[in-house]
Amino acid sequence: MLRKFSGLPWTAIAPVLIFIFLAVFGSWIVPYDPGAQDYSALLQGPSSVHWLGTDYLGRDLFSRLVTGARVSLVAMAIVLSTALLIGVVIGSFAGYVGGVVEQVMISIIDIILALPSLVIALALIGIMGTGYWSMIAALTFAWWANYARMSRAVVATELQQPYIEAARVMGASHLWIYVRHILPHVLSLVVVYASADAGALVLSIATLSFLGLGVQPPMPEWGQMLVDGMSYIEEYPLLVILPGLALTLVVVSFNLLGEAFALNKVPRPIARRLWRRRRAERAAEEVARDKSEGRA
Amino acid sequence: MQRLLLRRLGLALLLIVAASALIFAIIAAAPGNVAALIAERAAGAGADGAMIARIEQELGLNDPLPIRYLTWLSHAAVGDYGVSLRTGKPIAEEFAARIPVTATLLGFGGVIAFLLSLAMGLAGAASNGGVVDRVLHAVALIGASTPNFFVAALLVIAFAVTLGWLPSFGASGPASWILPAVTIALFPASVLSRVVRVNLQEAMARPFATTGFAKGLTRGSVLLREALPNIAVPFLTTFGAQFTLMTIGAIVVETVFALRGVGSFFIDAIRFRDFIGMQATLLLFVVFFVTANFLVDLICLLVDPRLRRGRN
Amino acid sequence: MSETVYAINDLVIDLYAPTVSIRAVDGVSFHAKAGETVAIVGESGSGKTVTTLAPLGLLPEGVRVDLRGSARVDGQELIDMNARALSRVRGTAFGVVFQDPMSALNPMLKVGPQLAEQARRHRGLSAKDARAAAISLLARTGIPDPEDRYNRYPHEMSGGMLQRVMIALALAPQPKVLIADEPTTALDATVQAQILELLRDIQRREQITIILITHDIGAVAAAADRVVVLYAGRVCEEGSVKQVLTEPIHPYTQGLLASVPDFRAGARRAASEIPGLPPDQSRLAPGCRFAERCPKAEESCRVRRPDLETLSEGRKVACPVSLRERKGHV
Repeated sequence: MLRKFSGLPWTAIAPVLIFIFLAVFGSWIVPYDPGAQDYSALLQGPSSVHWLGTDYLGRDLFSRLVTGARVSLVAMAIVLSTALLIGVVIGSFAGYVGGVVEQVMISIIDIILALPSLVIALALIGIMGTGYWSMIAALTFAWWANYARMSRAVVATELQQPYIEAARVMGASHLWIYVRHILPHVLSLVVVYASADAGALVLSIATLSFLGLGVQPPMPEWGQMLVDGMSYIEEYPLLVILPGLALTLVVVSFNLLGEAFALNKVPRPIARRLWRRRRAERAAEEVARDKSEGRA
Repeated sequence: MQRLLLRRLGLALLLIVAASALIFAIIAAAPGNVAALIAERAAGAGADGAMIARIEQELGLNDPLPIRYLTWLSHAAVGDYGVSLRTGKPIAEEFAARIPVTATLLGFGGVIAFLLSLAMGLAGAASNGGVVDRVLHAVALIGASTPNFFVAALLVIAFAVTLGWLPSFGASGPASWILPAVTIALFPASVLSRVVRVNLQEAMARPFATTGFAKGLTRGSVLLREALPNIAVPFLTTFGAQFTLMTIGAIVVETVFALRGVGSFFIDAIRFRDFIGMQATLLLFVVFFVTANFLVDLICLLVDPRLRRGRN
Repeated sequence: MSETVYAINDLVIDLYAPTVSIRAVDGVSFHAKAGETVAIVGESGSGKTVTTLAPLGLLPEGVRVDLRGSARVDGQELIDMNARALSRVRGTAFGVVFQDPMSALNPMLKVGPQLAEQARRHRGLSAKDARAAAISLLARTGIPDPEDRYNRYPHEMSGGMLQRVMIALALAPQPKVLIADEPTTALDATVQAQILELLRDIQRREQITIILITHDIGAVAAAADRVVVLYAGRVCEEGSVKQVLTEPIHPYTQGLLASVPDFRAGARRAASEIPGLPPDQSRLAPGCRFAERCPKAEESCRVRRPDLETLSEGRKVACPVSLRERKGHV
């Protein structure tokens, strides 16, 4: 029935939809308050009372897992949308304006991208202190640069296309040209990347929480639940396995979604192209430039 | 080719300087008074304004930002990273002890990722759409999606707790490196195996592969001797990127397995607001990344005959 | 009288792609003797490449192939041979020269060692002897300064030079049959002539059998002894080069020859073209494949597939109408 949902295979989109559903409606379907402690029911296995068992404080694991889904999703959505917005705006601006401004922005972006995103986020958290909003801000700052680079590249290429010149001659304003003609190209590239990036972001949030530097207790988050469970790894591994499995499943589905998007809308997976081509292209450019210099 | 390399080297150095400036600026903007923290550590409650002022003077904390940056950078260039706000000991000492640990971890992990990804990619290409190929694709997908701390936990449950074969923490001998190295290598190996697999497929569709068959080679030989050399550049490029990403894995793994490496030092610095320590570690990271990228570019130039300039 | 080295009999080849299946070769037969060059001529889609490369398993990966009939080299049947045996036969009995040497040679491998490798593997030479053999091969294919060229990469050489390298590579295992698939198409006109000359030369010296696949009549005239004309997967005409080029019988062959511009005749005889397009080989009608475009076509042509009739030793034509005309004249 929902076989092909707007051209995407349902195997990719269903898990993500389930995740989103759980995240949005979670608080209505969980049987227990995720923070409710019950000292009479510590570290219990799955039963009809507690579907997935309880943790070391007697809290219902199922409820905590589902609520954790919401926490992850909301955090991821905030960071991703903000980073996208900032990145696309700055990148498009740089690409459109061109000249020195563009070069300076490219340099700044490249410097930021010289370090892995999580390292930057960690450093920022180190400065700002721990906490939910600190984490959000840090991740957003670490994440926007990649989208800025992509947007700038697309804008710069598209501006060279003849139809842009034609539109300008016909009197279209810059904003109109951008929104109507260029933005769709930017978005199609960015959306593909973002769909797989969402998974990476969820992982990063979980990693930060695992290190104690992300979502703080008592707010449940899968990475944080996992690190809590490490102390009980010998007697009751379920505390570790359940959030870990949940994380893996969610990231797998986002990756599948990203792959499906890539196959459908764009000729080749962007991530691979970005990784692979960037250096090879730069090298080839260098050689070509040197060749022409050498021959001159 | 020399000119190419020199230019690349120059750019790399420039990048290091620029990134370090950014790092310094961000950390200098941190709230909190470093001098006050140092004074507190030294004199406890007896720290007064005069003491703090003196420390500020000594450390040059009142100088304008660019001067402080240059002072810091020039010291760092000769190996003086300052004193950790957390331990009170010179950071250079810490690094001397910790860098080998992280280096070993990354080294083992890198080797495992390199070999494993090649094996998986080749096996998949040899199977070419068969069961092995599809299973390995699924394995790679899961491997690229599983958080490394979960992998660490699972491995510990399986090998340390249940089977008791391997130690679950510390750096007490070669066996204790196995679990951390495998944990850190899983994600890069998964990503790389897909790069290998896809690129091999593309290479096998190119005309020189047919020539390979015409030479009388079996499919396996064509894969190994004709196709594999052609994926060197994309493989090495991605490997370089993944290798630098492994630092994040190192941070997590060192924490989980209680290894005293640079990664755990970084986390401690963050937790205890040791800005000097953070600064120094970030600089180390930047130098590492830029150097690693430079080396990868260099190796690519050496490996691909077309990227080298002609021997005239 | 030399013996038949390479014999194709009633070869039928079906190709299966995800959306369509094609009968690329529909009952083709021809023989090639030792020391002779047989040209397979036809336009794109005529099946000339598939006919020669499919029995060797040299079609690109990803296309499913169904082979029926017989393809023998030195009496050994290639069809239904297992992969391992086939790869051995490929290496020892055959050498293949492909169309675009720049893409057909591995850009990551030096040129010389590949030649030496072939010599070592298929002729059992020692490393030193193999290297010497490789260098002498490079010299024999007309490459200047072979010692230096031995260590070069493909991108360091010109197209013509690379094609010589390909030929050397094909000859390295001392094969019985050299298959040249459009060896001159990707080259400049002056170089084309040189390569064809080289092939002729090699054949004379080594007494090797050459199968020359081409759509270029000029190449046929310059380098071949016999010619087989293919259209839409079937043989139209076969004979010695002299016979077929001076007296083409099949209407397709006639059209083919007429479409070659004759500069010696000045502008007086303009090149004519054969009207229409080659048939869609996924949906084929009964009868002669050429009937739609044939000026001499009769009703029976569209209904019954014309047989390949033998006029004399080695001279065959598949056009009853033309043959009837001819008999009438004689």
